[in-house]
Amino acid sequence: MNRYGNVNARPDGIVEILITQEAIERRIAEMGKEIASAYRDCLPLLVGVLKGCVVFMSDLVKRIDIPLEMDFISVMSYAGVQSPGGAARITKDLDTVIEGRDVLLVEGIVDTGMTAGYILRNLQARAPRSLRVCTLLDKEVRRIVSIPISFRGFKVPDRFVVGYGLDYRQLYRNLPCIGILSDEIIGLDRS
Amino acid sequence: MAVVTITSQPGCPGIELAARLAGRIGFSLVDKTTFAQLSGEIDLDEARLRKVDEAILKGDLHIDPETEACVRLLQDLIAQLAEERDLVIIDRSAQGLFRNRPGTLHVRLVAPRKFRVRQVRTREGLSGREAGRLVGALEKEHARYLRFLYRLNPADPDLYDLTLRMDRLSIDQALTLMATAVDGMDLLQVPRDRIVKDLLPQVPEKRDTGRFANTAETEFARFLRFYRIPFEYESRTFNLETDANGRIVEAFTPDFYLPEQDLYIELTTMKQSLVTRKNRKVRKLRRLYPEVNIRIFYQRDFHNLMAKYGLLGSPEKSHPGFGRDEEVKSKRK
Repeated sequence: MNRYGNVNARPDGIVEILITQEAIERRIAEMGKEIASAYRDCLPLLVGVLKGCVVFMSDLVKRIDIPLEMDFISVMSYAGVQSPGGAARITKDLDTVIEGRDVLLVEGIVDTGMTAGYILRNLQARAPRSLRVCTLLDKEVRRIVSIPISFRGFKVPDRFVVGYGLDYRQLYRNLPCIGILSDEIIGLDRS
Repeated sequence: MAVVTITSQPGCPGIELAARLAGRIGFSLVDKTTFAQLSGEIDLDEARLRKVDEAILKGDLHIDPETEACVRLLQDLIAQLAEERDLVIIDRSAQGLFRNRPGTLHVRLVAPRKFRVRQVRTREGLSGREAGRLVGALEKEHARYLRFLYRLNPADPDLYDLTLRMDRLSIDQALTLMATAVDGMDLLQVPRDRIVKDLLPQVPEKRDTGRFANTAETEFARFLRFYRIPFEYESRTFNLETDANGRIVEAFTPDFYLPEQDLYIELTTMKQSLVTRKNRKVRKLRRLYPEVNIRIFYQRDFHNLMAKYGLLGSPEKSHPGFGRDEEVKSKRK
């Protein structure tokens, strides 16, 4: 381990371990089975949304015991918008044509649903045969755009979570568990 | 209800005239005391209110969202009071708050600076120089308040229906002229429902590309546009309460409507402890319109959203959404 410390110890800035590495592994194994069962009769294309999906997706695909393909997509973050009228755009598109394919969008977390909603609209326009969503974490309490989630790892409370691919300013992605980041670090005042 | 706003240049007898006019025409007076009561209603104690005032009056360009929200809430409270009672309001940027409101008379009291300095000197027992400094400071303060809240200049003659030169008029004469204007404008006969209805857009007005009430709304609209989520701004007003004659006495206009989600969103940048009134309205709306899907987006939610994109917690990355309001308009819910 690195400076984050032991697997279930609290690393710097983490006030609480929300989901342990063991719990994540168990749930991913279950999700792998669910997905394999759902796509038993076809060749699914798993589309990961960069970068939050990376750790989750790499573990997930190892637990899906049917043939599958993988691809990735990336959307410009709102943090990168320069002008007031700036709009989201795809910064890394799929290498695969998805028309007629069974596509499973893989997210690390679905929060407000804005990013997922944007990507779903984009992919839907490419006429896949089916399009479903899989996410490790679902922060349903903050949803603005409704997202139909077919495969969900965990529902999480309205706290700022990091780890297992999820970042805060690009840090904490390599944390092997899901932790709650301190309000102090993200500049939140909850008083 | 009917409203008379009185804007007084420092050194003019605005407070006395406002009190006497209110007494003569039977309107409620909104002065410092009323303002303190309203502040108490939203848990703003005197010290905090002073802090809010100071932040604006010193022209702080980085006023925090909470302070700004408090100031605007106080304006909202006065606007709401005007839906319940006939008012005479002295200063407090009321000429901006009720700028285009029907059933309102805007009065300005003016006088040459020399005259006003002399008045202050006599009243406060100051030297000529001290009185001059005080008048100058108060003028700046009034101008900053109005500019901060409504981007208006108090010297703009278009803001007033009646301007009275107090170096040429006695208080009694000024009072008579104001009472005559109130009468001449039929303010005493304005039916309550006309005012309330005029305040409420009867036809949904799409202003999704227009100006927003505060920076949080502007920022939220940017989010929606960024992700190409269609929205309408203040597109529907819900009637919350009617009187025995079926007249609307309370209404609520959520900030955003997302047609694809069939979701209304009400934003507030106030702290949780200060949103009681808004929560109450939303609860009432949910009770009366159970089919309506509405969500309050609190300051906490807004900050979470910003934090998600790393836009909090670092000065160099501080976002324009948390700076001083760039687009100000009066807002009545």
